[in-house]
Amino acid sequence: MKRKGLKSLLLVFVLTTLAIALSACSGDKKAENSSQITIGIPQDLEDSLDPHKAVAAGTKEVLFNLFEGLVKPASDGSFIPAVASAYEETEGGRIYTFTLRDGVKFHDGSMVTAEDVKFSLDKCADASAGEPLVAAFSNIESITIEDEKTIVVTLKEADTEFLAYMTTAIIPASNEDPDTNPIGTGPYKYVSRSPQENFIVEKFDEYWGEPANIENVTFKICSNADSIVMDLEGGSIDMFARVTATQAEELSDQFDILEGTMNLVQALYLNNAETPFDDVKVRQALCYAIDPAEIMLMVSDGKGTELGSSMFPSFSKYYMEELNDTYNQDIEKAKELLKEAGYEDGFSFTITVPSNYQPHIDTAQVLVEEFKAIGVDAEIQLIEWDSWLSDVYQNRQFQSTVVGVDASNLTAAAMLQRFTSDSSKNFINFSNEDYDVAFDKAISSTDDKEKTEYYKECERILSEDAANVYIQDLPEFVALNKKYTGYEFYPLYVQDIAKLKLAE
Amino acid sequence: MKYVGKKLLTMILTLFAVTLFVFLAFHVISGDPATSMLGTEATPARISALREELGLNDPVLVQYGRWAVNFLKGDMGTSYSYRMPVGDMVSDKIPVTMTLTILAFFMMVIIAIPLGIYTARHAGGVVDRTIYIINQVIMAVPPFFSGILITLLFGRIFKLFTPGAYVSYEKDFLGFVGYLLFPALAIALPKAAMAVKLLRSSVIGESKLDYVRTAYSRGNRTRDVLYLHVLKNALIPVVTFLGMALADMIAGSIIIEQVFSIPGLGRILLTSISNRDYPVVLAVIVCIAVLVLVVNMVVDLIYGLIDPRISVE
Repeated sequence: MKRKGLKSLLLVFVLTTLAIALSACSGDKKAENSSQITIGIPQDLEDSLDPHKAVAAGTKEVLFNLFEGLVKPASDGSFIPAVASAYEETEGGRIYTFTLRDGVKFHDGSMVTAEDVKFSLDKCADASAGEPLVAAFSNIESITIEDEKTIVVTLKEADTEFLAYMTTAIIPASNEDPDTNPIGTGPYKYVSRSPQENFIVEKFDEYWGEPANIENVTFKICSNADSIVMDLEGGSIDMFARVTATQAEELSDQFDILEGTMNLVQALYLNNAETPFDDVKVRQALCYAIDPAEIMLMVSDGKGTELGSSMFPSFSKYYMEELNDTYNQDIEKAKELLKEAGYEDGFSFTITVPSNYQPHIDTAQVLVEEFKAIGVDAEIQLIEWDSWLSDVYQNRQFQSTVVGVDASNLTAAAMLQRFTSDSSKNFINFSNEDYDVAFDKAISSTDDKEKTEYYKECERILSEDAANVYIQDLPEFVALNKKYTGYEFYPLYVQDIAKLKLAE
Repeated sequence: MKYVGKKLLTMILTLFAVTLFVFLAFHVISGDPATSMLGTEATPARISALREELGLNDPVLVQYGRWAVNFLKGDMGTSYSYRMPVGDMVSDKIPVTMTLTILAFFMMVIIAIPLGIYTARHAGGVVDRTIYIINQVIMAVPPFFSGILITLLFGRIFKLFTPGAYVSYEKDFLGFVGYLLFPALAIALPKAAMAVKLLRSSVIGESKLDYVRTAYSRGNRTRDVLYLHVLKNALIPVVTFLGMALADMIAGSIIIEQVFSIPGLGRILLTSISNRDYPVVLAVIVCIAVLVLVVNMVVDLIYGLIDPRISVE
């Protein structure tokens, strides 16, 4: 009896495994659907799917395809009407009047009403939790429904840039669970998701505008950076938006490699409140010690754009190329400045770098070498992204850090407000009265030319006061299967999937 | 029955200790769910509002108590990062990790038992020695590295599977199992090597005992002695080992899931730890702990089946 039991048990083991192994071979190849694409994303949307609450850049770039505001950003950095068909700015930018577009539908089939628009804007302006979801909405005095098709937004103080915030997503007031069930008006609608696996959307057939070309889109989470090349070559993903220079090189035969910029300011951000960085001479010395061209060469094969202040070239209106030359590598000058500051024998400090982002780590390594030449001893400390958020960004417990800072919307203020002395996002503790004055003037100015001048003044101060050691705007390489075409770069952190189409 | 009751009690105490430990650990490491959720959009006002909403301002033990009570009621809470019920997330991923572990376990048994018996019967032969050397090499390679080697060899060179082409079990079950075969192999190999070694020495050890000589003297053939008498006794230490190996495999699959990009419990566990998503971390840890404890209990019960002299009472 016993022997039989054991034997049959073994037999079951063998048979099951064989059966599984044999049947598995047939199930491997999936049918090629011409109208579908799988896009690799480096991290899951570990976030609320409510467009007003989502914060991670990786979430927003996907949700961009699902949601639209009254206006939406175009790839050239301008704003095009979306849920509103027209808008009017009166009283020098104090009153914005929006005419709603006819026939705009939500993904659940209901029509967009003026009530939905007011609900969405009110939700973002609600300050009961301390401050509104969209900080700039604290400037809103009232949001009124003029008639069925007209919404009027009145500001407390005129702001000619306010249109940029009207990209705030319009969502249906009736959606009870916006955190997990996203309903918007965009060219794609949400289908399903599986944590750490994928996020699936499909073309919204009743979209008001130019419809999307590709029917089914799967965002597949590829958290293992080392296997991205394999995933692309093996065909399990068709596109990956941010491959490294080395990966791009490897893939260039089989894939279209599109080159753009990441639209962020990569710098060695210095805690201006910590010694020795409270001394402008020390900060300037570090600026003189580095050579962005060398960093780009080491980090991304020489690709990238040198930066001299907190503004990147995509914001062509505000970008000042001449600031790249405020400091050019000059070891003697750097040593002299250190001497004047009383650090003749150099000093040592720590560079805190989030461990999940290789280009920043590589950059920090080059920086360490470059600082050695002026007798400054830097040490790299790798830290988890979440610890970075709490220790560095929130509590400001750091000496210096290498990260990239991007713009949350298409205004210059998105880059520059952070450095006003009382900003809660001023994690580097930069404090300069002239800067605060220039920024205030830029905000309150209603003349576009004057406004731009003040913003440029801000950039100049950041550069001359060496708020940070500015390095570059990182290059972005998009690997796209040759079956597809039509990818467009935006000056914002978004992926516009609706523009992708099958190659002829 | 008494045994099972006793085991269950130990299990509950273990789970209590494990979850409390995880809870406390999270309060020691830096980082906080609220700052994690708000990212670079965080402002002090929004952080404190969110902390209040999540109940993070209460003392640790109060938070633990609240979690434990809800958990016992069957409510695992809501994920901080995904905002979806933790129960849904975890139950969605359990089949993935379980399938992977079970496949690996079968592979281990299928490889180890015939090889173990064979090498014991032909101890000292060329095959035995060759297998001995291969065993040593395999045991020395950690699973994540064998995972990389397997990807390279079977995925890139022989093209037997497409790395990264994981399909969900809901969509295509056979394709799903097919994709898991090679990851399972990576988990199974080192354990199989150990099991071969153990079974070989266990069989050889038993063969030298008196009852074997008696069996021979009764006129039994070598084969019958081996399969009818020796193996039954020799298997007991091996079963212990297999039990431990299974528990270890559940934990080991966390690493292999990373290497082969499999979205199982391990992947969720790792990302939830870095997002400070406690409810998910706790739920996954409870799942893994329960699995390990159940496996241990089952192994104890199997002893009795193999050898009735061993009683679990």
